[in-house]
Amino acid sequence: MNLQKAHNPILSILKYTLADEIQHKSFIVLFLICAAFVFLTRGCYNDNFVMNGQVLNAQAIGWFVSKASFHVIAAAVTLIAALLSMRIFRRDRDEGIQSCILAKPIARWQYVAAKTLGLWMLSLLFMLVLHSIILFITLLNTKTAIFSFLFASLLCSSNLLFVILAVLFLSLLLPEVIAFLCILGVSIVSYIGDGIYAASHSQMAQAMVHQPQGYEQSLTWWQVVYYLWPKLSAVQQWATALISGETFRWTGLVHPLVNVLLYCLLMAFLLFMRFEREDIV
Amino acid sequence: MSNTVIEFNNVTKRYGSLTAVDAVTLSVAQGEYFALLGPNGAGKTTLVKMMLDFTRPTSGTISVNGISSTNTACRNAIGYLAENHRMPPHLSGRQYLQRCAELCGFSRREAAEQCDRSIERVGMREKEHSKASSYSKGMIQRFGLASALVGNAKLLILDEPTAGLDPIGIREMRLLLESLKGQGMTILLSSHLLSEVEKICDTAAIINKGKLMVKDSISSIIRDGETLEAVFVRLVKGLT
Repeated sequence: MNLQKAHNPILSILKYTLADEIQHKSFIVLFLICAAFVFLTRGCYNDNFVMNGQVLNAQAIGWFVSKASFHVIAAAVTLIAALLSMRIFRRDRDEGIQSCILAKPIARWQYVAAKTLGLWMLSLLFMLVLHSIILFITLLNTKTAIFSFLFASLLCSSNLLFVILAVLFLSLLLPEVIAFLCILGVSIVSYIGDGIYAASHSQMAQAMVHQPQGYEQSLTWWQVVYYLWPKLSAVQQWATALISGETFRWTGLVHPLVNVLLYCLLMAFLLFMRFEREDIV
Repeated sequence: MSNTVIEFNNVTKRYGSLTAVDAVTLSVAQGEYFALLGPNGAGKTTLVKMMLDFTRPTSGTISVNGISSTNTACRNAIGYLAENHRMPPHLSGRQYLQRCAELCGFSRREAAEQCDRSIERVGMREKEHSKASSYSKGMIQRFGLASALVGNAKLLILDEPTAGLDPIGIREMRLLLESLKGQGMTILLSSHLLSEVEKICDTAAIINKGKLMVKDSISSIIRDGETLEAVFVRLVKGLT
């Protein structure tokens, strides 16, 4: 018998993770609700919008709606990825999957890697499908194919990876709901922080707090925290800038994507180290 | 000993101030039907879990077929049935076994053959396509044993295989285990059911409060006219 031939347990566990998640009714319902909401935006492309008696350019409106939808979908799927991740270890324990897998000649890191990749692929697929719906609605209504949408979607998948790794790690230390809320908090702070940053760098804000020439502002502690914080929102903004071909202005220490990828590495390290010491029930 | 399959060498496991396993040294020879006996909380399951690297010993070493338990390769020849075996409720028994076989490294076709053989051995042909959510406790235990048998395991580790089974289920499980005798398989059985152990096992170790009390052949443990139960009670209660 050709035992152990080209056997890759990571691929097998990844396949089972995808199959198990997709068969859950709650996942299907969640996906249908999200898809229905995305379809609702098609009305925004058909109507003529009038502001102060002037008819607005329908194409410009469509473009704006597409970008706004891109942001909302990316943020919503980040939330969904956290929801999917928070109970995965518990469910595997309760259903005996974890002990079944780890009683076989499979290393713990392989199990964790397969689970992480499975969740990441599922969330990415979820986001790509929703973004594709927007892509087709835009194509049908404005006759413009924004294929950079899908590329931008792939860039945003780094956020999904970070959220999945962080929730998986925290779910080993804390109750799952708390782990989820922690990462939700990190994401919200990231969005609010970037919002404040954008507002403070607007022309109006700059004019209001005009600094005399030669004045050098020192780095305050909250600025350090802001630059070091996981830049989930900034990655989305960068991805959106790529869609519209705008210049992405960033004055942080490292590029947002590098920031998020570094956090992914840190979380992956912590997750693998923690799971190695975990008692299997 | 050259034919030693399992070897615990001065193994201790502590959970904070609690010592679950206290300096246990024992070995199991190839082809042996070995019973691990002890009251609740004696440390039987902890010993089993350390063998599978589900939990690491505080000190001491464990080897299976000469390979350290921390090396995944040592689990190549191990089949494991957990205490209160569980199955994903949305999978059928066959789907579950197919996954187990594929995780052992078999191709899809080979895994299907393995499933057929295991299902036949545990007599679950009629229920192989039903969802696990519809299985009784006994059926789940049988599929658990089938999953331990896929992959041509040479060492079976059974942690309370009869837990929660009715008398008929217990008898059927015993007959199944007896049928595996003579196939060159080594079995380590952790159990409370002393009468069942007496019927099928060759050797037994009794542990209490993490300490190894006795390890010998069943016939040597039982004194004249005594039952295994009487010896067990005497040792656990510290009577002479």
